[in-house]
Amino acid sequence: MRNRTKLLLLAAFALAGAACLLFRGPDGTMAAKAPELTDSGALPVQVLFPVSAKPNPGAVGMKPVVFTHKLHESKVQNCETCHHTGDPVPCTTCHTVEGCAEGNFVTLERAMHATNIRQVKNGRTPESCVSCHTKLYSQRKECAGCHSIVKPNHNAQWCAVCHQKVPNMTQEQFAKGVAGKLDPMEGMRLAEATIAARKEVKYADPTKMNYRMVIDSLVDKYEPNYFNHARHIVSVERKIKGNLLAKAFHNSPRVFCKTCHHHTPALATPPKCVSCHNSRIDKKYPGRPPLKAAYHLQCMGCHDGMQVKRPRKTDCTGCHKLRVAQKGD
Amino acid sequence: MENHSIVMPTREKMFNMGPLLKPTLGNIITWILLSVGLVITVIRFTQGIGSVANLDDNQPWGMWIGFDLLCGVCLAAGGYFTTVACYVMGMKHFHSAARPAVLTAFLGYLFVVVALLYDLGHPLRLPYMFFFPGTTSVLFEVGLCVATYLTVLFVEFSVAPCEWLSHRFPWVLKWRTFVNKINILLTIFGVTLSTLHQSSLGSLYLICPGKLHPLWYSPFLPLFFFVSSMVAGASMVIMEGFFAHKGVHNYMDATHLRESDNVVLSFAKAASFILMAYFMLKFIDMLVQNNMHYLFTGYGAWWLVEMLGFVLLPALLYAKGSREGNVRLCQYASMNAVAGIVLNRFNICMIAFNYQLPSAERYFPSIWEILISVFVVTMIVTAYRFIVYHMPILYEHPNFKDEHH
Amino acid sequence: MNRRKFLTFLGSASVASAIATPSTAKASHTFPYYPESYGVLHDTTRCVGCRQCEEACNEVNHLPKPDKPFSDLSVCNTKRRTSATQWTVVNKYNMNGKDVFRKLQCFHCQDPACASACFAKCFQKQPDGSVTYDGTQCVGCRYCMIACPFYAPGFEYNEAWDPLVKKCTFCKPRLDKKQIPGCVEACPMEALTFGRRTDLIKVARARINNNPGKYLDYIYGEHDAGGTAWMVLAPANPKAAPIPPDNPVLAGPEFKQLGLDTHLGNQPMGELTYGALGIVPMIVAFWPVLFGGAYAMTKRREAMHKQALEQTEREAREDIALAVDAAVRKIQETEGEGAADRCRKAMAEALKARETAAKHGEEA
Repeated sequence: MRNRTKLLLLAAFALAGAACLLFRGPDGTMAAKAPELTDSGALPVQVLFPVSAKPNPGAVGMKPVVFTHKLHESKVQNCETCHHTGDPVPCTTCHTVEGCAEGNFVTLERAMHATNIRQVKNGRTPESCVSCHTKLYSQRKECAGCHSIVKPNHNAQWCAVCHQKVPNMTQEQFAKGVAGKLDPMEGMRLAEATIAARKEVKYADPTKMNYRMVIDSLVDKYEPNYFNHARHIVSVERKIKGNLLAKAFHNSPRVFCKTCHHHTPALATPPKCVSCHNSRIDKKYPGRPPLKAAYHLQCMGCHDGMQVKRPRKTDCTGCHKLRVAQKGD
Repeated sequence: MENHSIVMPTREKMFNMGPLLKPTLGNIITWILLSVGLVITVIRFTQGIGSVANLDDNQPWGMWIGFDLLCGVCLAAGGYFTTVACYVMGMKHFHSAARPAVLTAFLGYLFVVVALLYDLGHPLRLPYMFFFPGTTSVLFEVGLCVATYLTVLFVEFSVAPCEWLSHRFPWVLKWRTFVNKINILLTIFGVTLSTLHQSSLGSLYLICPGKLHPLWYSPFLPLFFFVSSMVAGASMVIMEGFFAHKGVHNYMDATHLRESDNVVLSFAKAASFILMAYFMLKFIDMLVQNNMHYLFTGYGAWWLVEMLGFVLLPALLYAKGSREGNVRLCQYASMNAVAGIVLNRFNICMIAFNYQLPSAERYFPSIWEILISVFVVTMIVTAYRFIVYHMPILYEHPNFKDEHH
Repeated sequence: MNRRKFLTFLGSASVASAIATPSTAKASHTFPYYPESYGVLHDTTRCVGCRQCEEACNEVNHLPKPDKPFSDLSVCNTKRRTSATQWTVVNKYNMNGKDVFRKLQCFHCQDPACASACFAKCFQKQPDGSVTYDGTQCVGCRYCMIACPFYAPGFEYNEAWDPLVKKCTFCKPRLDKKQIPGCVEACPMEALTFGRRTDLIKVARARINNNPGKYLDYIYGEHDAGGTAWMVLAPANPKAAPIPPDNPVLAGPEFKQLGLDTHLGNQPMGELTYGALGIVPMIVAFWPVLFGGAYAMTKRREAMHKQALEQTEREAREDIALAVDAAVRKIQETEGEGAADRCRKAMAEALKARETAAKHGEEA
């Protein structure tokens, strides 16, 4: 019950705020009309600032995050998935950049990114943005194939998926945001502008790549395997079509190539597997699988994640037919 | 010399094979067992261990080690126990029990080695341990001590064959005199070696805590083995006396007959105390190792059977028997105690060993393995009878009377 | 229970613990540490149970062909162990509801239990990491098989003339030729990774860290049984909370499902026996003194007893002689010389008769 009254209160506040804006009249750049609230009564899109006791914490370039509350709300069963205390208050109430007593000194950075979250014995284990997304891509069949092999590289590009540049934001607004005093409606307008400025990524066209590849490193025992390169890519792309999470994070044209053509720059003509994966183990890199194992780990790893039942992993001839000994051999 | 029925060999008649060849029931059974054993021996040594034994890779040590070696060595502890009591502690009234005890100890150890040859993959390489000594191995210590102690026992025992052979070859008496002179040294050497290898037989299992059930595994296994070997020594002297009275009564002289009851009662008293101490050791060890919760499992029940029925019960029977002067009760108690020792060794070697394996992978000895063990025991009994019929073991030869006083 | 406690317990505590400190025992008993030694990391999350390692092992070691071909994967359904003719086997285990395959072979311990147990020095830990066995001096006692905590060695029970212990050799002949073990080479999934043991531990750690939730945070064999050259990674239970790193107690139930015991401890198995072996010199030194002392005390008591007895006897004899003398003198006084002589004679005879009777009675 406590939860519901809080939600109602919040909704009432939001409505009151919206009403105030309406009465203030059209003096801003954007037409101020009543925002379309989410089912729970929150603002549909928001800007999450790195709220801190200090005026400009951490790195100067730290960008706020544009968060589509509406979309996320529709994807979870329960508000408590994120609002783990039961209070539907902003995360930054308890989790600031430095951490504070209310949030058990869990910093904002951890609250948003931690993946090693201690399991709560009785009650709900909190989730961070990253822990929830990690769970999604490693559990969903269509994601788990590639993601059992590649884990997101936590580089600047990865950060920038969420920490986007907010156009039109003034220094003053940023400072207010950091102090936690920015007007929610103003924040919403900034968020809307940011979303409108997003560009869609155009993926590389599979039909322009190698259609079929011949893998023939085991010719002494088996016939070569004809790997349908294009079909594999098209199939994966089709499977995750419409998946907004995938769309948001797959933010470069050759992102799908990286699953197999890892550790190399995404080029139109990537180097061959054998250029790193020798047929014999390399003393300097004991963890690097030799060629045969590299192929198998790659193919089977992906098929495993996608729960492809056939061919069975122990059925060698399912992929490469046994070579019948010929007269010349 | 009142007991004139003792048949003593003379220069003219060195051999007294009559009692061994008479077709009595006992002899017939002996002949059958010996011939069956011989056949299995031939099979064992021409077809391999696997042809007669149920031993496998999980259970490399079975009946032959569990009974012939562990029990054999332990039950031959009467040798050191009696000689220490008689010669070191000066309990002269055990004198007549010393020679039979040394004989059984010698035979026991000799046939431990014989039985070991069945179990070894390369029996002829047994001396290799002296050429390539693996000094980190408990087994090396056991081997070294058993080999040395067997030699000591042979020297101690050699007095009797000397007295027998002196009828024909009087010069062997020089050796006899020499042995009598160093007797006390041999005894002390013997008890040292016995302490070492009796306890080391327990140490053998220290290396496999994962395989032996926690109720039986203990860092104090060597101590338990040593303490229980004392009980085994005392009990075997009593039990053996019982059977000797049944079988070879008329080879005992008056001194032996007079002292035998006293030996039984004194040894019973000692065994009672040691068994009680052993019970307490095991019980405290169980508590200290926090094994109480195992008592409520199947193995726990079995452990209680061993501890109550085969350690505590004989201890109480011994106490009652020795207190009341009831020789018969002491003899029953000795059988109970010996059974307890055998049970303990079986538990450690076979029953509680590999306790984590599913029952399908567990070991049960084959009939041929058991028959080999029976064969070895039969050989011991036959050798014992041969020696008793020919040498002054249960009596003192008039030629050598009073010499060692 | 360590060696020191054991010594303390067996008495003569001060002497024993002063002479045989654990450090000296370690120096004399344990094997040298070979930092350059090789190992193999077995990643059970990768193993698919194809049995190609078994086939390769069979081929490179010229072992007899099994009844069922290696392509028959149904054999993995029944639990098997290594034997004299199969130096490695792959078993299927059910781990938290999922099938996990594990390869069994000799773990090539850093300080092997078999080598510690062998009383003819057949086993050697080689600098390249392999634990080798020299059958030419094997007595066939099979104590190595009792000692091995991994149930690895097998014995040729059906061989009559030259039965030997057989186990994985780490393909020692191949290592000497700069080749990797047959099974590792055959593995299509790199479930077996060959390399320097120190590198493999780093590789294993990297795999655990880079794939959160995939592996149990425990490298089986890093420390178990004093460390092994062959190590095992196991998949984590997705339903349970992750266990803290390197915790043998919490990882125990998980590894038990894979047939591995994490409770062997971090000490080499042989060290369990070194306490008992360390007591040997103590007993050799002290027992003769103890029993010699007991013997000396017995002798002394006997001598004193004998002396006392002799004194009593002598006094009694003197008493009798005096009494006899007095009696005879009285007779002489009253009845004359002849009667006294007769009396003396009769007394002496009676005494003699009593003495012989007493002697006889003692004998009977």
